[in-house]
Amino acid sequence: MTDTPVVAPPKETTVHPPARRGNPWRPTPRGVALMTSIELRRRRPSTKGYVLYGILFAAVIAICILAAVLSTSDLSSTNLELVLIMVLGVGMLIAPSLSATSINGDSGEGVLAPLQMSHLTAGDIAFGKLIASWLVSVIALLALSPFLIYAFTKSGWHLDELAITLAAILFMVLAFTAVGLAWSAIAARAVASVSLAHLTTGFFAVGTLVLFAVAGTLVTDTKTVTEYYLDWETLTADEQKALDDAYATGDFSALDPADYQCTPQEWTTGLTHTDQIAWLLLANPIVTIGETAPIVDPETWREDGRAAPGAFAQMHSLVAGARLGPQDDEIDYEPYNECDQIFGTAAAEELSPEEQEAQWEADQAEYDAYQQELANLPRAPWLGLAVQAVLLVGSMLIVVRRLRVPYKKLRAGTRVA
Amino acid sequence: MTTTIEASVGVREAIVARGVARSFGSVRAVEDATLTVPAGSVTALIGPNGCGKTTLMLMLSGLLRPHGGDIAIAGHDPKTDAAAVRAAIGWMPDQLGSWDNMTCLQTLTLMGRAYRIPKDAARERGAELLARVHLEEFADRPSRVLSRGQKQRLSLARALVHDPQVLLLDEPANGLDPRSRVELRDLVRELAGEGRAVLISSHVLAELDEMVDDAVFMSKGRTLGDEAATMVAHARTRYRVDALDRDHLLEVLARFGIAAEPSDTGAILTIDSEDRAAEALAWMVNQGVRVHRFGPVGSALEQTYMAMNEERR
Repeated sequence: MTDTPVVAPPKETTVHPPARRGNPWRPTPRGVALMTSIELRRRRPSTKGYVLYGILFAAVIAICILAAVLSTSDLSSTNLELVLIMVLGVGMLIAPSLSATSINGDSGEGVLAPLQMSHLTAGDIAFGKLIASWLVSVIALLALSPFLIYAFTKSGWHLDELAITLAAILFMVLAFTAVGLAWSAIAARAVASVSLAHLTTGFFAVGTLVLFAVAGTLVTDTKTVTEYYLDWETLTADEQKALDDAYATGDFSALDPADYQCTPQEWTTGLTHTDQIAWLLLANPIVTIGETAPIVDPETWREDGRAAPGAFAQMHSLVAGARLGPQDDEIDYEPYNECDQIFGTAAAEELSPEEQEAQWEADQAEYDAYQQELANLPRAPWLGLAVQAVLLVGSMLIVVRRLRVPYKKLRAGTRVA
Repeated sequence: MTTTIEASVGVREAIVARGVARSFGSVRAVEDATLTVPAGSVTALIGPNGCGKTTLMLMLSGLLRPHGGDIAIAGHDPKTDAAAVRAAIGWMPDQLGSWDNMTCLQTLTLMGRAYRIPKDAARERGAELLARVHLEEFADRPSRVLSRGQKQRLSLARALVHDPQVLLLDEPANGLDPRSRVELRDLVRELAGEGRAVLISSHVLAELDEMVDDAVFMSKGRTLGDEAATMVAHARTRYRVDALDRDHLLEVLARFGIAAEPSDTGAILTIDSEDRAAEALAWMVNQGVRVHRFGPVGSALEQTYMAMNEERR
């Protein structure tokens, strides 16, 4: 055994890798494709993984069948919207988890540097990892697809509308995958990069809402309003009785203005100009997804063949309210003056019950018109999508810069490998 | 042993480094490293842990930017042509990493394709390299089942997929069993015989002795040039003589005024050539010394390493 000569096999395949010049870093289609396939092979689940995934998928289908048997035939978009939110939520949880250990993990395992030594450029490695992590998230989300299909059939949405919203969700998942990748290129330890990636996601999902609430105090105009009321204490018993009678009958003509003096009361009121900070809401990924959903008119939805306004429609109206800001009647608020009410205009313009009715109807119509205006306010997903695009591009720039060799500096506390 | 660098670099000099320096923050990992490795030869890089060997190798491989000095690998400058430098190098890192759930053959094939080698050629080459490092039977088994020594061999095969002209082997003998070490030694000689320049770092100095043409010693971030070369040359002239009657041996040596260091079992002589060593042995036997052991004192590299560390202490 020991005397077996260690010799090379006589024949050896000669290989001719192409010559290289300079220090390219841009991604190339071939390199990205190879890197993606390497990453996907590495993440290929074990048999146990397939079994678990199969069980999950079967459970989802079973729940859908159950729901189909039990549900009524009414259209309702809320189910679909909940599934879409779930898809977004799960995607935003899975994607950064997968990508956030991708670079520092590989470096720790010692499998990154050999690839950097090869003809793969920093761009190839970065985008290959991005696409592979994103594809794995998308495949995981496919487990929820039976829910989606079932909920869609009852939602009153059109297929193209669903496609647009799904595309927006997948784009967001891609952006948060890139964010995870960037953190894994920056932080040395997996614990740090995963937490930072989730914190980033959390900042956009929850932090924007908190910021909106905090920023609200900055754009609130406070003003002091002086209102006038009768001072009950200063009235004699007769005057009080006469006033009570007058209120009871609505006939104030018997009262003598000289006996009833109104005293001023001051209080402060705030008017929040939400239109100045509504962009904070629009940067929220969940709001952005809601903004890609079809508009449901609260008056005509039945004729339009839609379900009643669901979660997204309500969210759209709330956001629209913030976008429009305070309305004229709130801005031109008339301070109340009880004496004027009794002795001035009110006494002169006595409303008959019919007129009162008409007044109420007009108020209601105005309210409905406002609600309709809110529901039909043009959708505004663009800011949110732009924020995601900036995150995506910025993250990938960081990743490519960090993967370029020769390293100028190393992550603190790491070795090259 | 040449550690001086000519002003003009010949084609045969595959690795040239002059005055290379690199620090991490305030830690000066490599202060002044100078070495030359001609094509077709094996050079050892020797030094204690933390003396900057790996950092120097990383700079030579084009993964880490030096803060000072010049490097040329196969005629390419990593400052301007880092990709060409990397393409010319087969690098075996000191850290063993492998794609756990891929087979050995898949690993080598994908690595070959990462070097833009067509799929079929990459696969064929991968299979041949596995045979060369004696891992054929693991070709279709996932690399996570490999032992440490087998992973070392896979790592070496991975460094060879693109037929590089320069090999940088960082601690390749770590974790290898004695037989694998012998095989590694032969493989490294073979690779040099094919015209590749090999720079190898190792702690197993006895193995290196038989493998290398030249050695560069490193201490505290500096390569030791001629002084270390002199020490190695001196170490190579030292012979150990063990005699059954130690006192008689010492008495004979003293009588003829031959300088010798007494040892526990005999003496250590300085003999400058193999001819003279043969003569010396015959002479001692003629003088009635009952010599039972005669030969060079252990590993010249090891002696130098030990002497160097003592000096530095």
